[in-house]
Amino acid sequence: MNPEPFLQLDRVIHEKGRLAIMSLLAASPQLSFTEMRDTLSMTDGNITAHIRTLHEAGYIAVTKAFQGGRQITSYALTADGRKAFTGYINLLEQIVQQTKQK
Amino acid sequence: METNLAAEHLQTIRTLMERSALYRRALAPVMMVSGSIGLVAAIASRVVALETNRAFSLFWLGVSLAALAAAFFLVRRQAIKDAEPFWSLPTKRVTQALLPAFFVGFAAGVFHAFREPMTGAWLLALGWIIIYGCALHAAGSYMRNRIKLFGWIFVLGGCGLLFASAEWPALKTTAAAHQLMGLFFGVLHLVCGVYLYFTEKRRTAE
Repeated sequence: MNPEPFLQLDRVIHEKGRLAIMSLLAASPQLSFTEMRDTLSMTDGNITAHIRTLHEAGYIAVTKAFQGGRQITSYALTADGRKAFTGYINLLEQIVQQTKQK
Repeated sequence: METNLAAEHLQTIRTLMERSALYRRALAPVMMVSGSIGLVAAIASRVVALETNRAFSLFWLGVSLAALAAAFFLVRRQAIKDAEPFWSLPTKRVTQALLPAFFVGFAAGVFHAFREPMTGAWLLALGWIIIYGCALHAAGSYMRNRIKLFGWIFVLGGCGLLFASAEWPALKTTAAAHQLMGLFFGVLHLVCGVYLYFTEKRRTAE
């Protein structure tokens, strides 16, 4: 089996928590912090750390808005983030496909 | 090993993407409040004795608008409390799924009220029950909590009563129509609300 696709996997996305965040955002134009936290059952600290890493990598954009006097922080995939996520899925499919062919 | 991991990751991605699109607002309070409104309205209709087709249509159209307004208020309050956007993608999808059936129900009510129909209020009530069931079933695709099953109860109940009316003339009265509305839009919503209250609570605790 050619190990190359596995080695090419984006390490920023490959971590379980960050992959989960990217997956949620890939299916929704934007999600709030609480929506992601509740859906993934992650702690505030954990999810904050992953969001920071993804934000620093340029994969997610952060928007702050006010609703009913409360601040809502929302997150969305950037164009780079979507491209990286699509590339990541393609590589995973390639790995699965390689084994099926054997 | 790598293949298993890759397949596992793809499955995780798929599950999470599906979960992201699901409607997450707690429905128990919405069901309980709309059920209470329906039940109070059914009792009020007996006290006030709304006998004409027009009175029946306008009264229940008003009740449905009140229930919708209450639902809107509750959902918006939840969104604000959770610091989440109200008009999220799942909310949009659920609204889009409900809208055609709600529009048909509204149009049927207006037609019934202002066009002096040949049919009685009982037929409109059964029509509303069936249409509402279809709306719930459509919206259930974007929800958990067996909302589709709740929709089926309305559809089957409405259709069953439609056939039963042939053998049971007592159903074909305006008084019976008010009672049917109270049963389906009042009692059944309250029962569903209580069920959701316990199941949604349990899911949150898991």
